[in-house]
Amino acid sequence: MIELMNVRKVFNAGKPSEFSAVNGVSLHIPENKVTVLKGPSGSGKTTLLSIVGCMSRPSAGRVKLKEREITSLPERFLTDIRRSTFGFIFQQPNLIKGITVLENVMLPAYPLGEKRSHLKARAHRGLSELSLTGKAASKVEWLSGGEAQRVSIVRALINNPSIIIADEPTAHLDTKLSYRFMEIVEKFKAEGKTVIITSHDPLVYESKMIDKVVNLRDGKIEENPT
Amino acid sequence: MNVWIEKQRYIIDFTISSLMRRKVKNIGLLVLYTLIVFILASTMFFTYAIKREAAFILEGSPEIVVQNLVAGRHDLLPVSYLEEIKSIRGVANVESRLWGYFYDSLVGANYTLMTPPQNQDSHKNQGKTTVVENDNGDPHANHEAHALFEYEGALLESGTLIIGNGVARMRGIGKDDYMPFMAADGQIMNMKIVGKLSSVSELVSSDLILMSEADLRKLFGISPDKVTDAIVTVRNPSEIQTVAGKIKKRIHSARPIIRDEILRTYSSIFNWRGGMMIVIFSAAVLAFVIFAWDKASGLSAGERQEIGILKAVGWETGDVIQMKFWEGAIVSLSAFLGGVILAYIHVFFTGSAIFEPALEGWSNLYPNFTLTPFINAEQLTTLFFLTVIPYTVATIVPTWRAATIDPDSAMRHTGG
Repeated sequence: MIELMNVRKVFNAGKPSEFSAVNGVSLHIPENKVTVLKGPSGSGKTTLLSIVGCMSRPSAGRVKLKEREITSLPERFLTDIRRSTFGFIFQQPNLIKGITVLENVMLPAYPLGEKRSHLKARAHRGLSELSLTGKAASKVEWLSGGEAQRVSIVRALINNPSIIIADEPTAHLDTKLSYRFMEIVEKFKAEGKTVIITSHDPLVYESKMIDKVVNLRDGKIEENPT
Repeated sequence: MNVWIEKQRYIIDFTISSLMRRKVKNIGLLVLYTLIVFILASTMFFTYAIKREAAFILEGSPEIVVQNLVAGRHDLLPVSYLEEIKSIRGVANVESRLWGYFYDSLVGANYTLMTPPQNQDSHKNQGKTTVVENDNGDPHANHEAHALFEYEGALLESGTLIIGNGVARMRGIGKDDYMPFMAADGQIMNMKIVGKLSSVSELVSSDLILMSEADLRKLFGISPDKVTDAIVTVRNPSEIQTVAGKIKKRIHSARPIIRDEILRTYSSIFNWRGGMMIVIFSAAVLAFVIFAWDKASGLSAGERQEIGILKAVGWETGDVIQMKFWEGAIVSLSAFLGGVILAYIHVFFTGSAIFEPALEGWSNLYPNFTLTPFINAEQLTTLFFLTVIPYTVATIVPTWRAATIDPDSAMRHTGG
């Protein structure tokens, strides 16, 4: 599904503050499976995730998505792939304040110019699936942490992506909400979606639904973590 | 096409909600912006309308005015010159005029005193209107057919006055009241007001007082063999310049002034006044430009975060720029329309209450007149390019810089 070949990512190249976040990572992420990128802070998890999700380009190496080389594609094409293929769940909900839950959920679909009634119906359906029907017209500031997280999940799913990317999704959730999140991930898996999660939360990477755990440290894959 | 329209609708909707979220900041900006457009538009409308008004009046003025110069200064014209001018080939008619200025120390205002035009005298007893002489071959004849002012029903005899609205207003007097004047010989002349002037353009008649020839001569001490100046009508309008030259040649001290010269002078005076106002207000415009640039270039942390989120959820750089374009366009177009409408009301309905004194200044007496509304496309286009375009561009440039960063860095900044 996703193939990373000797990927490197260097920040502030050529400056005294230059540092390498990812050092020659080669990785295969299987389709319809849940993969966890595990590692301590600064191990390069988020950087690797952003490269996989077409949010940034590697400094070296190649990335293939469904056998298609995407490393050298112009920004417009990358955005297109990102919009149609990936759904992002961030560490924090990253919802836009001042507008309603429904508008936040519909945001990723705006540039596609889809008919409003269709888009609205789909957003409502997504909200009802995560028990948020009553919150559609609420401003996002009024939501609890768990509700905001679920809204961001509905937003990630609005364009019906085949790959879900979640960056430290349980970092700001209590145990109960973290379990609730994992149930949602299980649902994604059952629907045939590919899920990639970065986490250093045992509740996530020790979960029985996880198919693959990739250990990262200092920007490299640890083959035999202790 | 439908997809494109739908997309623009989504983006505009989001832009409006985005503007509403920062209500105080954006309303403040809109008010300031509208004020700038209002000031610029008012200056433009006022200058243009008053120029047109003056041109309209002056088009009805004599083809040639002949003054007498003594030591380079305007002096009274000997009546004997009139016959001399009349004998020039091409001259259709010569009329003398008697007029002057009178300073009223009571209200601190200058009035224009004159006798009714001579061609009116034949109708005087019926109390008709003043009709400006015109030639059928003159292309301006249609403009000139209008009466400059009217005093329907009023009969001007010795010892009586007909006054303009400005005078009536300032002195708080009207028909059947008396108005005293001190004559040149120190005698007090108590004149009865028998009527008020009305006019298509108050600019002409506001500070005007009409009195009989005998009274005017007595008031200013003008001997019967002198007049203030003469107006000359020419048979063939294309000969005006030639006739003026002939007058100058025949009477060396005469100064013929042709209508086009008067029009040009007034036009340059009003252009200069308008330009002066623009120079003064350019300071205000500059302050606004700095403010707008600061607002536009310094995207707040909240705005940067928003752009980061939009990019991360799949908006392209172009979509973000379009959003900011609409934001700039909505603010600047609203300000433009608001400012122009307010300026229109200000100039044409409230008589430019704010800066009328600075722009008029004919004399101490400011005539209260209503300008004829007139706007042309050139004015609006100039204003549009001075206000809407710079602001919209100033909004887009920094957004473009912010929107071209990787969504990844946006995610990191926002993701904590």
